[in-house]
Amino acid sequence: MDMNEKNVEEKVEESRPELPDTREGRLVKALIEKAPYAEGSVRRERRVEFRVSVERIHEFLELASETFEMLMQISVVDWIKEGEFELVYQLWSVSESVHAFVRTRIPRENAKLPTVMDVWPVAETYEREAHEFFGIIFEGNPRLGPFILEEREYKKHPLRKDFNMLGHVKAIYGEDFDRYDESKTNYVI
Amino acid sequence: MADLEVPNELRREAKEHDMYLHPIDRDTYELFFGPQHMATENFSIILKMDGNRIEKAIVNPGFLHRGFEKLAEGRPYFTNIALLLRICVPESDVPENIYSMAVDEIVGWEVPERAIWIRTTVLEMARVSAWMFWIMGFGNEIGLYTPGQWAAAYRERFMRLYEELTGGRVYHIYTVPGGVRRDIPGDRWLRQLRDTVEYVKGKMKDFDEILFDNYITFERTEGVGVMDKRFALKHAVTGPNLRATGVPYDVRKDDPYYLYDQLDFEVPVLKEGDSLARVLIRRYELEQDLYILEQLLDMGPPSGPYMVQDARLKALPRFKPPKGDAYAHVESTKGDFGAYVVSDGSHKPYRVHVRGPSQSHGVTVLEELLKGARLADVPVILKTLDNCPPDIDR
Repeated sequence: MDMNEKNVEEKVEESRPELPDTREGRLVKALIEKAPYAEGSVRRERRVEFRVSVERIHEFLELASETFEMLMQISVVDWIKEGEFELVYQLWSVSESVHAFVRTRIPRENAKLPTVMDVWPVAETYEREAHEFFGIIFEGNPRLGPFILEEREYKKHPLRKDFNMLGHVKAIYGEDFDRYDESKTNYVI
Repeated sequence: MADLEVPNELRREAKEHDMYLHPIDRDTYELFFGPQHMATENFSIILKMDGNRIEKAIVNPGFLHRGFEKLAEGRPYFTNIALLLRICVPESDVPENIYSMAVDEIVGWEVPERAIWIRTTVLEMARVSAWMFWIMGFGNEIGLYTPGQWAAAYRERFMRLYEELTGGRVYHIYTVPGGVRRDIPGDRWLRQLRDTVEYVKGKMKDFDEILFDNYITFERTEGVGVMDKRFALKHAVTGPNLRATGVPYDVRKDDPYYLYDQLDFEVPVLKEGDSLARVLIRRYELEQDLYILEQLLDMGPPSGPYMVQDARLKALPRFKPPKGDAYAHVESTKGDFGAYVVSDGSHKPYRVHVRGPSQSHGVTVLEELLKGARLADVPVILKTLDNCPPDIDR
């Protein structure tokens, strides 16, 4: 048991790369000191990256909002082979001129997250979009529902990788949507 | 509650003729503003009205949703240019450039100097022609139709230059990962561009007289749709709308790309945060953009290739970048336009996500600013925010 624990500790230390002594490096270091549960790294000039577990994402973003004033976007990536959604909160700091990726992963089934509307009110729009395209539920956002899509498309979450686009089009347009080529063998889209 | 009262005779008369009388005096009613209305450009706002005042506004986008992000996942990297540029109609070079910049970063390409010069010039031309488009829209909304017609004519000059450079007028499909698709047609094109810039510069005085220094513009925009600095930052408002509240954030200065760190230009900032400030900021920026174009022409295009030299580019449809992701953003006339591209090592992007500036100032901000505004101020607020529905819907 002791050996195992030591190994784990060593691994944690190994996985934290040395932060460079630049403006970005100091910024990441200051934030990591306040939030030791997050992993931080510097990607290049004016681009930094954080990884946070989903349980503490709201806490971390609230802390980060002191430095990073603007939430530019919430990008969702569907990693279907791993069975996970990756949420990337794109933050921009006006005072420091640094862009931050804050990454977190949640399972695809019953994907749930706390909303960050109380930190950035603009998150309402991004979360509505992520909800209807991926089916992620943001707890605390009162306006989840059809936003850009129509009612009949809303439940299907079309940006998921397992969404059958051709089947959906056929189901809606039926025989009118006959897009076979002249030899009637190949489907053309 | 509005002060207007409908006379009783008018009521009676309307009832006799079985006419619908607009319940302007006491009732609250619901008004569907758009998508047919010219100011909204393909999206609609549901307004809960109380007389002439707006109690609540609900933005209803989605009329332009074409699923570009889904379609981009099923197409090779270079084919996506022809798809993604349709996200921003008035300045289609912006989506081309952010996507190309992100792919360049994933692959690790050093774009040749000549291509960078061309890309910068194309982006600035796009900005000037988008300002012209905006002047047309804004002038029309407040009833000043003449500057709009002039602006459309000046935009046409830029579109002809684009046609000669790229082959397209509105959608250019020109900037691709690794460089640009074609070289500059020749010195004649550069001379024509300089002539056009000088011509538009000479016309700024006329625009000032008829639009920007006009009594009607001041009356219609002063004190309308005010937002403060804190509100703007919390709602991620970018571009001229943010600079009108006193925050000097410009992607070209703060996260310089292409040649912008070598160019000399100013970022105009006003602190009022109302519609008038947003109008004036745009006027100053138009002037700065013309100045930047002049500088670029003075610099001249560097010699060399206009496309990166890479053996992988010989089989374009099967071009595979390494695994990775990148976020690139540029300053468009609407604000900070960004793209997040994820590559899983195959020949198609795993995910493309575009951050349209109207996503922030076109939904929550618009709903907040419309609260308590008059019905006649709706087009003014919409146009001074420069809302562009295609980048909400995508």
